[in-house]
Amino acid sequence: MRAEQLNAILRKLSAASGEVEAAAIISTDGLVMSSHVPDGIDDDRLGAMSAAMLSLGERAAMELGRGELEQVLIKGRQGFIILIHAGPDAVLTVLTVQTARLGLIFLDVKRTAAEIARLI
Amino acid sequence: MRHHKILFSGPVGAGKTTAIASISDHAPVLTEAKARDSTRLIKERTTVAMDYGVMELEGGEKVHLYGTPGQPRFDFMWDILAEGGLGIVLLIDNSAADAMHRLDRFLRVFDEVIERTSLVVGVTKMDVSATLTLADYVDRLDAAGVRAPVLEVDARERRDVALLVEALLYSIDPGLDVDDVA
Repeated sequence: MRAEQLNAILRKLSAASGEVEAAAIISTDGLVMSSHVPDGIDDDRLGAMSAAMLSLGERAAMELGRGELEQVLIKGRQGFIILIHAGPDAVLTVLTVQTARLGLIFLDVKRTAAEIARLI
Repeated sequence: MRHHKILFSGPVGAGKTTAIASISDHAPVLTEAKARDSTRLIKERTTVAMDYGVMELEGGEKVHLYGTPGQPRFDFMWDILAEGGLGIVLLIDNSAADAMHRLDRFLRVFDEVIERTSLVVGVTKMDVSATLTLADYVDRLDAAGVRAPVLEVDARERRDVALLVEALLYSIDPGLDVDDVA
């Protein structure tokens, strides 16, 4: 039931713009709770890497005086990876195309994370 | 002034985070998250990226201590953290039913690093279970063709962890002054 709801939220996020290529909800210790990812991306790797990045981002933001972590943004030649907390125990990871309009994506991602946080 | 980097690795629950927290001269950087996998049966929180601590030696030399996550799903961090390391401290939980297999697995994972650098094995939780002795570990290492010191360690005890690090540093550089580490 909850799994279905989470999946529906991810599908909605992907459908909202053609710029989101993959999205997943992951526990902070790296286990995939729900994912909407294309073939060729390993769910488990995505999960573990998301947890590691978020955790390091959190520590770096705090220790280097930037305050509580809002998001982690990774820019590669082929696109962006955005990581954001979805409640205290989960992470929302979003992969976008290289031409993504980040402002709009951030809004969608934040809204989605809040929706997920209410569910879990 | 020289800087040394050493890696603490080993399976989940072996005491890597505890060991680094015990021995670090500064507040360590820890990246623990609430455990939701089977790890939760043995502990509440688990390392998801890395631990980091610093040991200061006489004369201003520093030993940078990096700890890895234990679960294989974080194996990409094992490679990242092993980069540039002078040696590995492998911690094995003696109370795990498959302790020997765990040792084998990590010897395989780090075989190239072990060949290139130095290894010391710390056996933890011997107070919890003494089914296997240090000699069993030495035999296993022999069988795998690996020469490394094997020590019993209580990861909560700074002295124990310091001895382990000293053993590793001596095998890397016998001239190193680590007398006052503990």
